Amino acid sequence: MKLLARYNRVNIAATILVLLVGGLCYYFILRFVLIHQLDKDLKVEEQEVKDYVQRNNSLPNAANYKDQKVVFEPDESVLIKRKIFSVNLYDTAEDEQQQGRQLIFTINSAGKNYKVTITKSQQETEDLVKLIVMLTLAIVVLLLMVLFIINRFVLNKLWLPFNNTLQQLKQFNLSNKTAINLKDTNINEFIELNAAVTAMSNSVLKDYDALKSFTENASHEIQTPLAVIKSKLELLMQAENFSETQMHYIQNIQEEISRLSKLNQSLLLLTKIDNQQFKDTEKVDIANIITKHLNNYEELISAKEIALTKNISEGNFVVMNKVMAEILVSNLITNAIKHNVERGSITIELNKDQLTVSNSGPVLATNPKELFERFKKDKVNSESLGLGLSIVKKICEQYHFKVDYNYTNGLHTVSLSF
Amino acid sequence: MKILIIEDEKALSESISTYLKAQDYICETAFDFHSAIEKTELYDYDCILLDITLPGGSGLTILKALRENNKADGVLIISAKNSIDDKVQGLISGADDYLSKPFHLSELSARIAAIIRRKKFGGNSVIQFNNISIDTQAKIASVNKTTLDLTKKEFELLLYFVSNKRRVISKNAIAEHLWGDEMEGNLDFIYTHIKNLRKKLQEAGDADYIKSVYGMGYKFTDT
Repeated sequence: MKLLARYNRVNIAATILVLLVGGLCYYFILRFVLIHQLDKDLKVEEQEVKDYVQRNNSLPNAANYKDQKVVFEPDESVLIKRKIFSVNLYDTAEDEQQQGRQLIFTINSAGKNYKVTITKSQQETEDLVKLIVMLTLAIVVLLLMVLFIINRFVLNKLWLPFNNTLQQLKQFNLSNKTAINLKDTNINEFIELNAAVTAMSNSVLKDYDALKSFTENASHEIQTPLAVIKSKLELLMQAENFSETQMHYIQNIQEEISRLSKLNQSLLLLTKIDNQQFKDTEKVDIANIITKHLNNYEELISAKEIALTKNISEGNFVVMNKVMAEILVSNLITNAIKHNVERGSITIELNKDQLTVSNSGPVLATNPKELFERFKKDKVNSESLGLGLSIVKKICEQYHFKVDYNYTNGLHTVSLSF
Repeated sequence: MKILIIEDEKALSESISTYLKAQDYICETAFDFHSAIEKTELYDYDCILLDITLPGGSGLTILKALRENNKADGVLIISAKNSIDDKVQGLISGADDYLSKPFHLSELSARIAAIIRRKKFGGNSVIQFNNISIDTQAKIASVNKTTLDLTKKEFELLLYFVSNKRRVISKNAIAEHLWGDEMEGNLDFIYTHIKNLRKKLQEAGDADYIKSVYGMGYKFTDT
C-alpha cells in the first residue's frame, strides 16, 4: 500500500468520524436552542392571553394563524397542570404530519375556568435546522475535497526526491561502476537519505573494486608458480626407469596441475568480463563461429558416436565482442559434448534471434536454477570445473541476452535469445 | 639454432633451457631488462622467448627496439598476463606468436620450431624424420614418397610429435595442442587418434615410432 493511500485512509476515516459525531452534536444543540426559543414564544403568547383576560375579564378571540393556534375550551372539572410538550400535528394544507410544541394552561375568566391550548408548528424551526446543517455539511465536504487534492499533488511533489533516489537505487549496478548520482533537495529528511545512499554506494563500489583487483592479482600471481611446476614435471617425465606406480603419480600430478591452471584461467576470464575488458564490438557471424568450433571438435563428437543435427541459418550477425562470441559458442559446444552419453545426440539451432544447443544426457543431480552459478556442477561429471555455464551467463548478461535451461525427454537444452 | 630466453623467473628459465637443449638448440638466458637489451643488441638469435613483465622494464620495449633496429629474430611472447590487450599489442609490435603461462614445454618447443621454419625457410621447409617427410606449407606428410592420407588433426599431431621427437609428451599437452584448452576431464579419445595415425604410418611401410609411456603420455622415437 502506498504511503499516501495509507495516510489518506487514516486521515479520511478520522475526519468522517469527527464529522459524524460533531455533526450530530451540532444538530441536537441547534435544535435544542431553537425549540427553547419556540417555547419562549409560547410563554409570551400565554402572557398576552393572561394580560387580555385581566384587562377585559373576557377571553380573546381564538386565533389560528399559519403556524400558531390558540384554542379555549371550557373546563369545569379538573384544574389542569400547566405544561409544555411536543405534539404531532396534522397540516391539512400540506397534507402531512408535522411536529409542534404545545402549551396548556387554565385561566379563569368571568368566574369560569377555561383550558387554553397554544400550539406552534415546529416546521420552520426544523427547516432552519436542516438548512444550517446542510450548509455546514457542504462546506465541510468541500474542505475535505480540497484537502484531498492538495494532499495528492503536494505530497506527490514532496515525495519526488524520494522516488528519484529509489529509481537510482533500482538502476544501481555494481558491474558498470557508475556511482549513484542523486538530485539535490532542500528537505532535510531526504538530504539525510541521499547522503546515506551515496556513502553506501561509494563504499560498496570501492569494496567491489578491491575484491576484483584482488582476484585478478591473485590469479596472475598463481600463473608463475604453476608454470614452474608444470615445466619441472615435464622435465621429470623425460627421465627413464620410473616404476609404474611412480608414472601413475606423475600423471595424477599432471592432471591436477592442468585442472588448476584451467580453473585459474576461467576465474581470470570471469574477472575480465566483469572488468569490461572486452569492450570492442563488431558484427559477429555466429553461424561461422559455430561451424568453426564444430569442425574443431569433430573428432570428439565422432569418438562418442554422437549424432549431430544442425539447423543453422546463415548470415545472422550479432553485435558483440568477437572473443566473447568465440568463448560463448565454444563453451556451449564443449558442454554439449562433455555432458553427453555414448551414441547420444546434439542439436544446434540458430536463427536471427535465438541460438539453441541441446544434448542428450543423464538427469541433473543439482537444481537447474543453480546450474549457471559458479562451481555448481553435476555430481555425475566431477571432472568438470563448473565454470563453463557461469561464463556463458556472464557473457549473456554483458549483452543482455536471455539465457534459459530446461530438461525434457532426456534432452538438456540451453537457449540464448539475442 | 640459437635461442634467447628472456624470463625473470629463474626456475622456469632453467626448465625451458634444459628442455630446448635436449632438442639440440643452443640456449642463452637473460633475467632482467638490461641484460636482455644488451644481448639482443649484440647478437642475433633464431628465436627470442620474451616475458612481458621484467625487472627494469617491459618486454614490449625490447620488442620495439628489435624491430626498430630491423632485427629479424623470431619473437615468441611468454606472459603470465593472459590478457587480450597484451596479445594484440605484442603482435602489432611485431611478435611472431604468443603463449600464455603456464604452458607445456612441448607446446613451447612446437611453437619455436614453427617460428623458425617461417622465419628461416620462408615457410617452405620440409621436415625430415627418418623416412617421414613433412611439408609444413602444403600440409602434406609422406613416407618414402608415398603421401599419407591424414586428417587435419592427424597431420598436426604428427608435426607435434616430430617437433618434440624423443620426448615424452603428456596426453594433456596433446589435447590442448589439438583442441585448445577448453577440453577438460576424460582424455581417452586421444588414444583413438594416436591409433589411427600409427596405423596409417605403418601401412605406408614405416616403423612404429609412437611409443606409449604408461600413465604419462606418448613418445615419438626411433630408438
